[in-house]
Amino acid sequence: MFKKTNVSALIMEQLKDVEGCLFNFENYMRAAATPETAQETLQSLAAGVFQMEGAADRSLAAMIESLGSGSMLPATKEDLINIATSCDKIANKCEHVAMMMTVQKFRFPSQYQEDITKILTITHEAFEVLEKSIKRLFAKFGELLKDHSILYEIRELESQVDKIEQKLYADIFNLDMDLAHQTQLATFVELLCDLSDIIENIADNIQIMLITRKA
Amino acid sequence: MWMYLLLAAGLFMGWSLGTNDAANAFGTAVATRVVKYRHAIIIISIMVMIGAFLNGANNINKLAELSANNAVSSTTEEVQAAIEAGTLGTLKLKSALKAAIIFACAGLTVFIMSYLKFPVSANQSIVGAVIGWGLCHANYSNPVVLKSNLTELLEFASTWLLCPLGAAIISFILVFFTKRFIEERLTTLSSYDTIIKIGYLVAGAFASYSIGQNSSASVTAFYYDPTGLGANLLTDARVAAVIGGAAISLGVLTFSKRVMMTVGSSIADISQVDGFVVIIGMSLTIVLMGEWMGIPVSTSQAVVGAVMGAGLVKGVKNVHFGVFKNIAIAWVSSPVSAGLLTYLVALATKSYFA
Repeated sequence: MFKKTNVSALIMEQLKDVEGCLFNFENYMRAAATPETAQETLQSLAAGVFQMEGAADRSLAAMIESLGSGSMLPATKEDLINIATSCDKIANKCEHVAMMMTVQKFRFPSQYQEDITKILTITHEAFEVLEKSIKRLFAKFGELLKDHSILYEIRELESQVDKIEQKLYADIFNLDMDLAHQTQLATFVELLCDLSDIIENIADNIQIMLITRKA
Repeated sequence: MWMYLLLAAGLFMGWSLGTNDAANAFGTAVATRVVKYRHAIIIISIMVMIGAFLNGANNINKLAELSANNAVSSTTEEVQAAIEAGTLGTLKLKSALKAAIIFACAGLTVFIMSYLKFPVSANQSIVGAVIGWGLCHANYSNPVVLKSNLTELLEFASTWLLCPLGAAIISFILVFFTKRFIEERLTTLSSYDTIIKIGYLVAGAFASYSIGQNSSASVTAFYYDPTGLGANLLTDARVAAVIGGAAISLGVLTFSKRVMMTVGSSIADISQVDGFVVIIGMSLTIVLMGEWMGIPVSTSQAVVGAVMGAGLVKGVKNVHFGVFKNIAIAWVSSPVSAGLLTYLVALATKSYFA
């Protein structure tokens, strides 16, 4: 009845794959915001994103499979599946953006390189905090129950991304270019900023999970 | 042999107690899928039987005393007189018939009150029905009978206060002192799950034991003949308790799912961890009250007290005192309505039983 499972190890493996996907995506985006980068290089970097997304999908499937035979409570299983599938959305989003940018041969104008890099750096930082929180969920659950201020760090980072996003929209629609291009640019900014939104949603789910289990 | 059919009224009461009281033991655990329904009903059935077998007879004797004082069961003198007159068979039939009337009136009260959506206590209804019968048939003008009845009535009424109060105190102490102990062991998510699972299994099993001890008496006590001279259907208190336990177990096994799934408490906001400690507090109160007073108490009163006690650990603001109005109505209305109904039936049938 209380059989041990390696659910925590599998979730951490999935997070590692998602982080790998995010890392490859950052490299792709940085290269895409540099005008000198050749299209072939971008395609090869995009392939790296797709490869890691596939790996993240496989780890998610293995994690869900292991929960089926695990001894955890049904509510805990549901919460963990919810967290894992949300983490998978990060990799899916990276894949989607890289794919759309590749097929549209889209490049961010060089004047946005700094802001794009900032968004990517903050998003990665938020993901690292999320990874740390999930690790604590398994290893230091009691401490996390008492103090989950770590989750507020994620919200803080997300609001920093929101500010850059707002500034970028204002800039984009003041540019001297046609509306179609403005909309295309704004769409990619929106897709990029969705990553930190997903991370924040996962943090919210973890907080709900903790509140419902508070002793 | 057909006289044993009269036992069906008591067994039906036991069956309905089983369908309802199971929720107090495993309702939360089953509704939140901590314990599977199938596992829960098996544990409840076994533990109810163990509780009835080991301790049920204690409460039977007390209820039998109450029934003798209220002219439900016959006194030794009456039985001996019937033996001499060769009318023991008639006496036995009348005793079983009286028991069936008591259960029918108490059962009908529980049914009507539940239909009208009033919270209700089956055990209190049974006690009320016995007193209702006694008001019509017992010789209250005799100071000895009056004194004896008043003493017992006071004892039963005192449980209305002592049971929830005791449960609140026990639950408060348990939650207060186990909180830190449990918190220190919540190191990982798996340890949390294990504590919750084991906690609810142990609490549910203990609660089932307490239900067996407490309520088995209410099911068959009035078919029990304390004189041992064969003036009623059952002459062994332990056998009577086990039959009562079996009826409750049957209710659990056949029809408890719906009630178990809808159980919930709005008396106080308590955590999942406090939840099983509250069930242990409730069960401990019932067992202690049985040991100390030998009186079947209301499990709903014990639950209310226990939940309130656990809520108080986090502060007075955490307890929803408004809920008590409805509960207090049930505490008074259950025995009073059952008593009134039984009194009217007793009055209508007085010439037959006189």
